[in-house]
Amino acid sequence: MAILEVSELRSRYSSRGPEILKGISFEVEEDDFFAIIGPSGAGKSTLIRCINRLIEPTSGSINLHGIDVLSLNATELRKMRRHIGMIFQEFNLIDRMSVMDNVLSGRLGYVGAIRSIFRTFNNHDIQRALELLERVGLQDHVDKRADQLSGGQRQRVGIARALMQEPNLLLLDEPTSALDPKISREVMQLIRTIATELKVPVLCNIHDVQLAKEFCNKIIGLQDGIKMFDGPTPSLDQSSLDEIYSMEVL
Amino acid sequence: MQTSSVPLTVDDIVRLRRKKQTVQFGFYFILFILVLWSIQATVIDDTDWERIGSLADIGKSVSHFIGIDFALIPNLLGPTIETFMIACIGTILGLIICLPAMWFGALNVTPYKPITYPLARIAMTLSRSIHEIVWALIFVSAVGLGAFAGILAIAVRSLGFIAKMSAEAIENIDPKPVEAIRAMGGSNLQVMLYGIMPQVLPVILGIVIFEWEINIRRSAILGLVGAGGLGLVFFRQMNTFNYPGVTTVILAIFGLIVVGEITSHYSRKALN
Amino acid sequence: MANKTGEHNLPVHSSVGGDGVHREWSRFKFPRSLINYGILLGILLFFSYSVYYLNIPLERIMGMFGRLGDLMADRYFPPDMDYIVDLGYLDAIIETIQMAYLGSLFGLLISIVLGWFAAHNVSPSPKYIYPIARLLTMGCRSVHEMIWAILFVTILGFGLLPGVLALTMFSIGFSGKLFAEEIESIQMGQVEAIRAMGGNHLQVFVYGVFPQVRVAFTGIAIYTWDVAFRAATVVGFVGAGGMGWYLKRNVMQIETERVAAILISIVGLVVISEFVSAWARIRVSKAK
Ligand SMILES: Nc1ncnc2c1ncn2[C@@H]1O[C@H](COP(=O)(O)OP(=O)(O)OP(=O)(O)O)[C@@H](O)[C@H]1O
Ligand SMILES: [Mg+2]
Repeated sequence: MAILEVSELRSRYSSRGPEILKGISFEVEEDDFFAIIGPSGAGKSTLIRCINRLIEPTSGSINLHGIDVLSLNATELRKMRRHIGMIFQEFNLIDRMSVMDNVLSGRLGYVGAIRSIFRTFNNHDIQRALELLERVGLQDHVDKRADQLSGGQRQRVGIARALMQEPNLLLLDEPTSALDPKISREVMQLIRTIATELKVPVLCNIHDVQLAKEFCNKIIGLQDGIKMFDGPTPSLDQSSLDEIYSMEVL
Repeated sequence: MQTSSVPLTVDDIVRLRRKKQTVQFGFYFILFILVLWSIQATVIDDTDWERIGSLADIGKSVSHFIGIDFALIPNLLGPTIETFMIACIGTILGLIICLPAMWFGALNVTPYKPITYPLARIAMTLSRSIHEIVWALIFVSAVGLGAFAGILAIAVRSLGFIAKMSAEAIENIDPKPVEAIRAMGGSNLQVMLYGIMPQVLPVILGIVIFEWEINIRRSAILGLVGAGGLGLVFFRQMNTFNYPGVTTVILAIFGLIVVGEITSHYSRKALN
Repeated sequence: MANKTGEHNLPVHSSVGGDGVHREWSRFKFPRSLINYGILLGILLFFSYSVYYLNIPLERIMGMFGRLGDLMADRYFPPDMDYIVDLGYLDAIIETIQMAYLGSLFGLLISIVLGWFAAHNVSPSPKYIYPIARLLTMGCRSVHEMIWAILFVTILGFGLLPGVLALTMFSIGFSGKLFAEEIESIQMGQVEAIRAMGGNHLQVFVYGVFPQVRVAFTGIAIYTWDVAFRAATVVGFVGAGGMGWYLKRNVMQIETERVAAILISIVGLVVISEFVSAWARIRVSKAK
């Protein structure tokens, strides 16, 4: 059963601007770890952000667990978003807050106004945050400020924060581009292990084809807003790669 | 400074340079004429040199001010504290009333741009273009003589600068944490609290401390129009021709400002 | 806890968050949080005490703002616009501009020298001249322009000259520190080059320092004009000429509708001056 169905998705940033996504369709299933690859500017980030409507698509449809995402109003959209975890290339942490507060902030969608002002999270959330921090190996940095961590550690905070949401879909926008190769592998490994364990499907933008082949079971190739490839990882061969990246070869 | 495709000949270059020099010369010439005109109007026409007298007379007037009125010192403590407190409360009140102004005045968070943004900008301009003395006058006539009028004047006068700088800080935030909070389903309030506040709070505090330092200077003169503090004592010394007393009050103000500068230096250090 | 999904029937995965191990964490950190709360409490106490000390009638505040509105509508409206297009008043406006112009010009000229002396890296004598120059700029800064105006009026009598001098002192205080800071941030290479050639202090300043800070100085000068003009609109209040004098007279005579008109003219002029200086700043940064 498909968890996420995207069909004929189109997007542009301004009404007179160029079309960035030119009708993308694909399906993500329960235990998928999906990679989206493609040259820079192909529209990978745009595609990922259309799914939780950080960018409004111009047309098409997105179906998550049978819910039509594009028809939701603002309140419903926020309720929907709390179930979609997102991990960012530049981590997008709140630099001046502690690691713990950053992880706890993953619960914001569930917390009312007064509690978010005073940062009072319930004991269950705190326990969960501590457990997640232990899980990503940051138990010794709980009270440090987020900007005092290394890149790899910061991304681990990002992972813990996304998992704090109890997501049933993870969106990853180049989670490893700001990290060195060794740390990149560790981070990807961590995400895959936890995602498999929690049975959360993952949609992951990634620059590094090698990394994609290593960790993902399905791959979408994007070029200039058009889907050039869609299939299981083993079926991605040199000729399809050439096709996806033809712009760069020229 | 033209970038024509035709290559410039030496003649052209010389002509261009000469033209530039003429413009520059004309500019300085106008400045100079303005200086002459202003001097003529202010220093020559308007000034009664008879009344001022010779340099020696001026020296004599100045020498009145030399000395310290020790008898006045015990009476200065109360007004000094008052001036200090007016500056502190005025600044805090200024910060409070300026919260909506900075929210409305920052392009990236203003709720309804065509109306709220210009509204905030107008408030900022008004606050900054009217001198604190005038604000104090207005408030004295509204709430009566005393410290309260001074506090309101300080608060309203501070609004412009604090709001302008803070709005700029809000406009220059890093949008990434904001995106993260939105992506996880955060409300507008939560975006404000978690995405924007942590980034701008230290900046705003720095701005407020800076303004507080200036406000000490300001609150020291509000007494001139009856808004309490050291200014009143200053005025009284002036009216009774007690010139050493005037010097004493000025020294007290000076001391207060030094205290303010030291405090502001260390608290801004502690912020980072 | 499986039903936190709101309206949507989304499946929730929750295998993390229940391993049964209890972990300790508290937002309260022993000495640090205590100190922070202590400081916060101290500040709060100080403010409450100040409100008490200054006799601020908290219970009447709300009413006061209502009164403020009434008062504005009542007394200050409608502004007596005829008054400010009167020839005498227009003359006062011109005088104000002249005062601000001369005051900031003199102040800037003196500031260039003082800023040079008060910049630690190129001051002719870091040991003697530097602290004196610093003290002078700080002295000019900490005395408010109104106090300068009063002092000069006392010494020289009513008129525009004391206004010009007060604004001069004010401009020195305002721009001197900025100039010095600007000079302290220059690159020392060019300075050393001139020094190596055997240049004296003046030559070092003219050829090594000034060309580097010229553009920044122009920006600061425009800014100084801006604030000096604002101050110039009120120094007349204590007898130093210009529009402030009219303000004072009408305040004293409780001619509130005229006061309103004068305030409008002040705001209008300041806004115009701000536009002009914004334009000038853009020109300067382009010419860079
Ligand atoms: N905010 C924006 N406004 C207008 N155009 C944008 C905006 N963001 C991206 N674009 C354009 O959309 C296109 C796709 O951008 P996108 O960021 O989705 O590419 P990408 O595949 O993620 O590239 P990269 O690998 O460099 O991250 C690019 O041509 C880009 O110029
Ligand atoms: Mg991208």
